[in-house]
Amino acid sequence: MTSPLRSGSSRSLTPASVLAAATSAAQQTSATLADRGGDAFIRRRGRELLFAFYGALRTVKLYPADNAVVQQSLDELLNTSAGVLAHEHELELRATGEFLFINGTRLRLDLEHDSSISRSFSSLFRGCGIGLFRVREGAAKADWLHLLNVLNAVPPGEPDQRRQMVIDKLAANGVISFELGPPTDTEEEFREKSKEAAKRTYAQSVTLTKDVINSVRMGKSPNIKKIKRVVQGIVDQILNEETSLIGLTTLHDYDEYTFTHSVNVCIFAIALGRKLGFNRLQVYELGIAALLHDIGKTRIPLEVLNKPGGLTESEWRTMTNHPWLGVLSLFQMHPQDIPFRALVVAFEHHKKIDLSGYPKHIRPREMSIFSKIVAVVDSYDAATSRRVYQTTPLSPADVLHEMRTNRSRGMDQVVLKGFMSLIGHFPVGTCVVLDTMELAVVHAVNPIAEAVSRPIVRIVGDERGHLLHPGHLVDLNERAPGATAHARTIIKIVDPDRHGIRVSDYFV
Amino acid sequence: MTKSASPAFGSSVVQPARTTTAREAAPPPPPVIPLIEVLLRDLSRAIRTRQLYLPNNPIYQRALEAVGASFRKIWVALPELVLDISEAEFKWDGITVSKDEGKADSLPWLFYKDGVRGLTLLEGFEKQELLTLMDILARVRKATTDEDDLLTLLWEQEFLCFHYRYVDFALEGVPDLALREPPVQTGAPEQSPEVAPEPPPTVSPVKMEDFDSTLYFLDEHEIEYLRVHVQSEYQGDLRRNVLAMLLDIFELEADGEVREEICTTLERVLLHLLYTEEIGAVAYILRESRIARERAVSLDGAHRDRVSRLAEKLSVPEVLSQLLATLDASSEITPKEDLEALFRQLLPSGLATVLSWMGKVQNTRLRASLEDAVLTLAGANVAELVRLLQSPDPVLAAEAARRAGQLKTTGAVAGLAKLLSAAQPAVRLAAVNALTEIGSPGALGHLADAMEDADRDVRVAAIRAVGTRGHSAALPKLQDVLFSKTLRDTDLSEKMVVFEAYSGLAGESGIPVLAGMLNGRRLIGRREGGEIRACAAYALGRIKSEAAVAELRRSSADKDALVKSAVNKALRGTT
Repeated sequence: MTSPLRSGSSRSLTPASVLAAATSAAQQTSATLADRGGDAFIRRRGRELLFAFYGALRTVKLYPADNAVVQQSLDELLNTSAGVLAHEHELELRATGEFLFINGTRLRLDLEHDSSISRSFSSLFRGCGIGLFRVREGAAKADWLHLLNVLNAVPPGEPDQRRQMVIDKLAANGVISFELGPPTDTEEEFREKSKEAAKRTYAQSVTLTKDVINSVRMGKSPNIKKIKRVVQGIVDQILNEETSLIGLTTLHDYDEYTFTHSVNVCIFAIALGRKLGFNRLQVYELGIAALLHDIGKTRIPLEVLNKPGGLTESEWRTMTNHPWLGVLSLFQMHPQDIPFRALVVAFEHHKKIDLSGYPKHIRPREMSIFSKIVAVVDSYDAATSRRVYQTTPLSPADVLHEMRTNRSRGMDQVVLKGFMSLIGHFPVGTCVVLDTMELAVVHAVNPIAEAVSRPIVRIVGDERGHLLHPGHLVDLNERAPGATAHARTIIKIVDPDRHGIRVSDYFV
Repeated sequence: MTKSASPAFGSSVVQPARTTTAREAAPPPPPVIPLIEVLLRDLSRAIRTRQLYLPNNPIYQRALEAVGASFRKIWVALPELVLDISEAEFKWDGITVSKDEGKADSLPWLFYKDGVRGLTLLEGFEKQELLTLMDILARVRKATTDEDDLLTLLWEQEFLCFHYRYVDFALEGVPDLALREPPVQTGAPEQSPEVAPEPPPTVSPVKMEDFDSTLYFLDEHEIEYLRVHVQSEYQGDLRRNVLAMLLDIFELEADGEVREEICTTLERVLLHLLYTEEIGAVAYILRESRIARERAVSLDGAHRDRVSRLAEKLSVPEVLSQLLATLDASSEITPKEDLEALFRQLLPSGLATVLSWMGKVQNTRLRASLEDAVLTLAGANVAELVRLLQSPDPVLAAEAARRAGQLKTTGAVAGLAKLLSAAQPAVRLAAVNALTEIGSPGALGHLADAMEDADRDVRVAAIRAVGTRGHSAALPKLQDVLFSKTLRDTDLSEKMVVFEAYSGLAGESGIPVLAGMLNGRRLIGRREGGEIRACAAYALGRIKSEAAVAELRRSSADKDALVKSAVNKALRGTT
């Protein structure tokens, strides 16, 4: 089996290398050897290449070969591929399930804007039984034209047969610049590695956050270097494969609520920021702000913070001081290290969009978009968590429904919409019953935008009530071969406790 | 790519093929090693010069060019440069290409100590990313243990042609997620002891109204809304935003400890903002803390005093001088409006320091910005300005005089008049100019005294002012100057100023005096000198009357070329 990830390359930075290093290190040592930098090129150029390939496929289908539009799109494709080859000395595209890799680097395509292209592309490759596509140096414009024509005209049939037809036709035309191979069964492998890396990132994040929060509680100033490393790790993980890390937010560790909540809010905020179109450095800043949003709670007496049951009015007032106490805590840092945007978020995350809520303010201000994002994800994670005073958390779907319908909560509706788009109708971790009477846990939102009500789920119980562990993933958007109806559909949301299911076990 | 054991970490490590394992392959071509050695030497030198010199310094520029040239040679020989890093060495293909033992700030150590264990450089790195890396290394060299390390800073850049392998020390010792036992044993499905018949439908049913997919995707307006918000987020003044929060808390929270902490924070932040030359934010703190002091509920005396002292501290000569010196030396220019806002918040005592500095400022752009700001400060503190006119420091007195003139401060006339007898000509000149700008009868009245000043520039300024302002009361004195011996000894331009002023003030009535100087003879039959006669002709030409023209015509054929030329010019000007 060939890895879909980078192989035969001298480049050392790949998801594979990062994950391999992380996984093996997790097993053998606490230190991690990882790689960074350089991926930016392939991500950017890879996306351009995909667009050029897709554009050329369409124009070749629509116009004769000598048409200027066709020539232009071929030139673009040729230039883009030549650019990658010149820089990387190889050009290898692999389609693995929903993921696309170029030279071993997973393309991070924006669901909102790129999904249709990515989907069409994946569908074409899957339909033609192509999992591997390699371009050799010296591929000419005429070679590309042949390939595009063949791909556009390949007759229906079994994927393996269709791939062979493509290979044969290219060979008959003397085109030797491309190498085509079957799909490799590595999606699960990629998922597993991502999951391992996510677990490691999550564990590191919680531990370091705990260090930071505890040291602040002891009167020290927050260690911004540690915080930055935590957030950098989460950003990398989210940009690479967000599902695994979002799944881990279902952990909601009862004893470690303060720390896991901060990390969860950070994860959700980064994923939502990405969804809303923030760039890498913006989501980084957002992540730092999200991780520190409750830092003011370090100044709230533990007996109030951890009090089971309801708070007295006086205790509640003390509790509502935490946003401005957070400002004071963050101002304790060395002035050159103060993350100013985090200060704003710490202050504003309990404010409503009309600036009511708490704490009060005097000087005119506008609520930061960062605060609006953190306000949404903070509410969601808090409501779905088990805490000392909330032993029965609300179901993710109920929380989402409440957030959407109850405008008096004062949340930004556009941000909220983005959040719903991120986690889908059935948020990750929701326990559901399918029309097959199987029990399932929502694993990820469906990457196909239109299939928002059909997430990818893990079947955790069969139709006879047997619980399964670890279960298996199914895409609820899939139809049985030849069938028009979907193979499985959610019919109801259930309380996992009633079925003896601990949702987080399926993510850990 | 191969995997090889890395004994240093006891873990399986992904390594670039050539870095360690390709030693079994053919030895590298001989020219490559020296090229890499030279490159690393040049690179070290460039990084050192980056720390020592400004970017436009020729030494730094030459060092950069040398690195660029070295890289170009490398790219001819290699498609990419892969280096392993140990504590004191760079290795290429297992061969040491740079060794720097025993130096705490050596380049390999700088990478190694923060966890970087390997670099891969691609063609193009030397164009822009090299500079970025050099900036980061310079910052890391000076960083304390609490500040950002190399890994943190490298992450914040999106390098295209530079990547690195590293060990993350920050994550050492972090345990794995505590794995809990799954609810049932893995393997074949088993009947769960807790599995019950399907529960009654008390749980949430699927809410069909949630299936409106338009709820889940942003439309164009919403995307635009986000774009605008993010843009305004980054355009807003974040410093002021957080300072506003701090001052709001100060006003709203009456707890003494909280206010004590905020006072300390404000003092600390103020110093930092001064250090980083964020003058607008400094001004904001001073202005808003004054407002907070007035509005805060139940503010005790101690905290009121601490807040008040913020502006006082900044107005202290040592602090303000230090700030001005920093601004003067800075390559960044402080916006004029920020300086004005700051100076508006200074106490009157700050005026003396700022005025003293006006004469010392080297940075011309700063001087231009300071001019208006100083005027703002002086205008807000007129009494102090007038007091400073009597400063024993001549530079300060002169600067105070200039601002008094610019502000047309009539209350400063007496003080300015006193300055006319100052020992330093520059001070007297500043006083004359200021009195001229004030232009009141009282101010102009003092100018007559300066028309016979010992200093030529002071005299010229005073006489010109009297003439242009039409201060006729000074005519008798001016006529005295006209006949004085001193005038005969001055240069032509001063003489012209005197005659010009005289013609302006005297008008027709001055023709006899001027005609006498142009055409008449003195007691012993001698004429005035050529320059005086030429100036008289010039003055008559300015009067332009028939009588003046008639006097000019009498000398139109004068034998003195200078006089003849002046007469003819004057005549041409009158026709």
